[in-house]
Amino acid sequence: MGNMSFLPVAFEVVLLAGALLVLLVAVVAGRDRRFWGPIAGLAFAAAGIVGFLQFREVLDGGEAGLFFSTMDLQIIRSPMVVMDGFSAFAAIILAIVGFVGLLAAWDLVVRVGRRGPEFVSLALLAVAGLHIMAASPNLVMIFLGLETASIAFYVMAGFTRTAKDSEEAALKYFLLGSLASALFLYGVALVFAATGSLTIYGANSIRDFFSTDIVTEPGILLAGMALMLVGIAFKVSAAPFHQWAPDVYQGAPSGAVGLMAAGVKVAGFAALGRIFVGGFVSQIDSWAPIVAVIAALSMVLGTVFALVQKDLKRLLAYSGVAHAGYILTGMVAGIDGIPAMWFYVSTYALMVIGAFAVVSVVEGPASTSAPLARFSGLVRRNSELAWLMTIIMLGMSGMPFFAGFVGKITAFIAATSVENPWPGGTNGYVWLVVIGTLTTVIGLAFYLRVISTLFSGDGPEEPIHAGMAARFAIVIGAVATVVFGIVPFPLLEVVRDAFPL
Amino acid sequence: MLPVLAWLVLLPILGAGIVAVLPTRRQELVLPVAIGVSMAPLAIAGWMLWEFQTGTAEFQFGSDVTLSSALDIGWRVAVDGISLFLIVLTALLFPIAIAASRSVTDRVKTYMVLMLILEAGVLGVFIALDLLLFFAFFEIVLVPMYLLIRMWGSENRAYASIKFVLFTAAGSAFLLASIIALGVLTGDAVGGFTSFDFRLMLLTPLSDTAQLWLFLGFAIAFAIKVPLFPFHTWLPDAHTEAPTAGSVILAGVLLKMGTYGLIRFNMTLFPQATVDLAFWLGVLGVIGIIYGAAVAIVQPDVKRLVAYSSVSHMGFIVLGMFALTTQALQGSIFQMISHGLTTGALFLLIGMIYDRTHTRAIADYGGLASVMPVYAGIFLFSAFASAGLPGLSGFVGEFTILVGSYLTFPVLAIIAGGGVILAAVYLLWAYERMFTGPTNPKLAGLSDLGLREVAIMLPLVVLIVVLGVYPKPVMERIQPSTDAILERIEFVTGEQFPEFGGPDEVVEIEYGTIEHGGGEG
Repeated sequence: MGNMSFLPVAFEVVLLAGALLVLLVAVVAGRDRRFWGPIAGLAFAAAGIVGFLQFREVLDGGEAGLFFSTMDLQIIRSPMVVMDGFSAFAAIILAIVGFVGLLAAWDLVVRVGRRGPEFVSLALLAVAGLHIMAASPNLVMIFLGLETASIAFYVMAGFTRTAKDSEEAALKYFLLGSLASALFLYGVALVFAATGSLTIYGANSIRDFFSTDIVTEPGILLAGMALMLVGIAFKVSAAPFHQWAPDVYQGAPSGAVGLMAAGVKVAGFAALGRIFVGGFVSQIDSWAPIVAVIAALSMVLGTVFALVQKDLKRLLAYSGVAHAGYILTGMVAGIDGIPAMWFYVSTYALMVIGAFAVVSVVEGPASTSAPLARFSGLVRRNSELAWLMTIIMLGMSGMPFFAGFVGKITAFIAATSVENPWPGGTNGYVWLVVIGTLTTVIGLAFYLRVISTLFSGDGPEEPIHAGMAARFAIVIGAVATVVFGIVPFPLLEVVRDAFPL
Repeated sequence: MLPVLAWLVLLPILGAGIVAVLPTRRQELVLPVAIGVSMAPLAIAGWMLWEFQTGTAEFQFGSDVTLSSALDIGWRVAVDGISLFLIVLTALLFPIAIAASRSVTDRVKTYMVLMLILEAGVLGVFIALDLLLFFAFFEIVLVPMYLLIRMWGSENRAYASIKFVLFTAAGSAFLLASIIALGVLTGDAVGGFTSFDFRLMLLTPLSDTAQLWLFLGFAIAFAIKVPLFPFHTWLPDAHTEAPTAGSVILAGVLLKMGTYGLIRFNMTLFPQATVDLAFWLGVLGVIGIIYGAAVAIVQPDVKRLVAYSSVSHMGFIVLGMFALTTQALQGSIFQMISHGLTTGALFLLIGMIYDRTHTRAIADYGGLASVMPVYAGIFLFSAFASAGLPGLSGFVGEFTILVGSYLTFPVLAIIAGGGVILAAVYLLWAYERMFTGPTNPKLAGLSDLGLREVAIMLPLVVLIVVLGVYPKPVMERIQPSTDAILERIEFVTGEQFPEFGGPDEVVEIEYGTIEHGGGEG
């Protein structure tokens, strides 16, 4: 191990220790006394501090790019974890997402009673897995992180399995998710076949291969890249690989959806950035046009289908498809799109947790379907909730002075600035940006429909009481929307340092 | 100490904060406090009017603070002769509109907060010289306006509010894409990072093709906002369903955001495309004039009638702009102010009678003049002003536009002249049906305008007369800025626009060196 530091893996270690401690405390101190709750919170807080320490370390240049490798085989000398601005920023965001997501899910944790500790430790494990997706340069490790997180989420989706929808959602999520994981893994295998490497950095790495060797098997390489892209697109619910999302979001218990949706988006795009912008940066001309098509499809299909939804959870699922499209729009710019991706995905994550927390408060944490009509007149039942939801919806819709606008602008600027690899095109992906601005407008229609519903005159009358934890999660989502919308500059500065090596 | 323009935008927001924290039990405090805080921007606007340097096209009261190097957006704001009066108009109409909102009793606090946020947004539009900042203000205005129509509008409010947002936002989609593209081109041209600085964009050489596409991208957003025929269909619905203050602000200042954008950005940034497309925009303007007036004549709903009259009047403004003569351009800026005053006055009056009778149908009225003589007098006055009776502000604007347009587009100007006659027809016919003849028995016993309502109307009435009799102080502040725009177009395109009084003198170019005709940029 030599002079190797503990810091690069501290995030995962803290969360795994937290997960074990939660289960232990539940056994020792009793499941009903919920001592394990604060422990989970502390674990996320500690993980967040680790993220900050990593980021500071990277900025100071101290241990930037330190590889933490445990597998030192003769054939593949392979670093397993990398600590750079990218992974450190992912750590910070994922810790925040985990913490806020758990707050939003707290009502559900209380509702499931004695099974609470399992849910909480699954959340901790899932976030640890998500971070590995961003922090490992090794494709197999990324796959393992993906599976760690996915399996935890499959279980969380079915946590209220007595409800029929929840069980169905979990099964659907599991089957389709496994398919995506398999595709990703097959892609890894093909890339290995084409390049002879599983790792992005270091000796004999994929980048090494591209800089020194001629690609003798471009077909296999392209097929491998395509399969990996499909696998990740599936996870982040980008069209046309998004069909699972509405059903799963709707069927999973409302309290858990926010964490699932936000966490997977953050880590999925991080993995995409790590692999495609970090590893396949020299192949950008072959993958960026495909990403652009996926982005366009996601924006159009997500927006159009969201328009006709009568269920708020399905609507948010389809809007999530559209948001995946906007983020991908920025990513066609390669390395220049990374700051846009980070800004967008981190603000979106907090918004989506807040939005599902509102659903959870109104419809109950274990609820499955959430018809829009049930939110009618929310302003008279709980005006604070209605206004916070309004802010979050405006944020998602991309209104100026809300965070979504800045995210979209940065993504669009990145996509416009890039040289278009297609013949004849020199002005960047202007067509993609035009699709993006148009779908933003169409998107306004359904976000405003939600807002309009909140303020309409009819609907149930009895007041709604929001629990402290969920309320806190919603407030964080709304405050982040406004703060990063009006003063996005500090965060924009930070994400400029969050590049993969 | 913040510069004056920052206060101009901040004060309404701070005011909104003050209104928001008023105790819920003291609902009666909300209206006076809201009027009070909305006077603050008016005071600043008045001060700016006083301090404004005449005889120069320079931007004044400017600040230029780059907010972030990561995303090139800056607090780049300044005022010239074009925006000055739009700011004054905005600052004037908001206190009036707020004061006229006494009939709003449901969720008054929210209403006032939204009005003040709306004011901040509109003022921001008129001062922004950073295109991203401009877009942000341009777009955010939709949210408070949407909520105002949605929550306090009349029967069909849900439909009208969403239609308003979607129509205008659809244009914004192209505007945003064009702004980003122009920003990237500017960045390429100056060899730096993407920039949205308006003054930097003026230096960017654009090919004719690029100019054409960008011009169209900008123009469609502004044309919808104006609204220019055939993009006007959102306007009658939004105006009719909006609460009184909403209609006043919509017609008075929100529509001007479109014409302002056309002058400030389209004509200045894309001179070649402006010259190429001027005639067609003029044609659309004239179609709007005649069409709006013709449809207004047959409206059974008086609020809808005034809404369609806006389509007609805004057509004059667009015609005046793209006639590309100094008189017509000045006239169209003057007409923006005048239209804000006259149409604002008409919507206020309709709101006042609606509060009493709860009907907008012209057929429900009749013989009102004998019941409410003061009201009838002010209504007739406003109708005359709107129709362009000499001596009132509407005449000055439309007359200069027609005279100026005749130099470039004689046929269009003659057809547009018909619009003036039609305006007299629809307004006076509506007056005749509502105010003369036998009194409708249901109207008997209506109270005439109270002191408060007369006080609300008074500033508008006075200004309509003053501007109609003595427009010179306004014109001489507008002229340098409009001249600078036309000179820039002439300089860049090599065109020579017709003008009264012989050929141009040698002029200094106000915008520094301008290179033109470079390649792809």
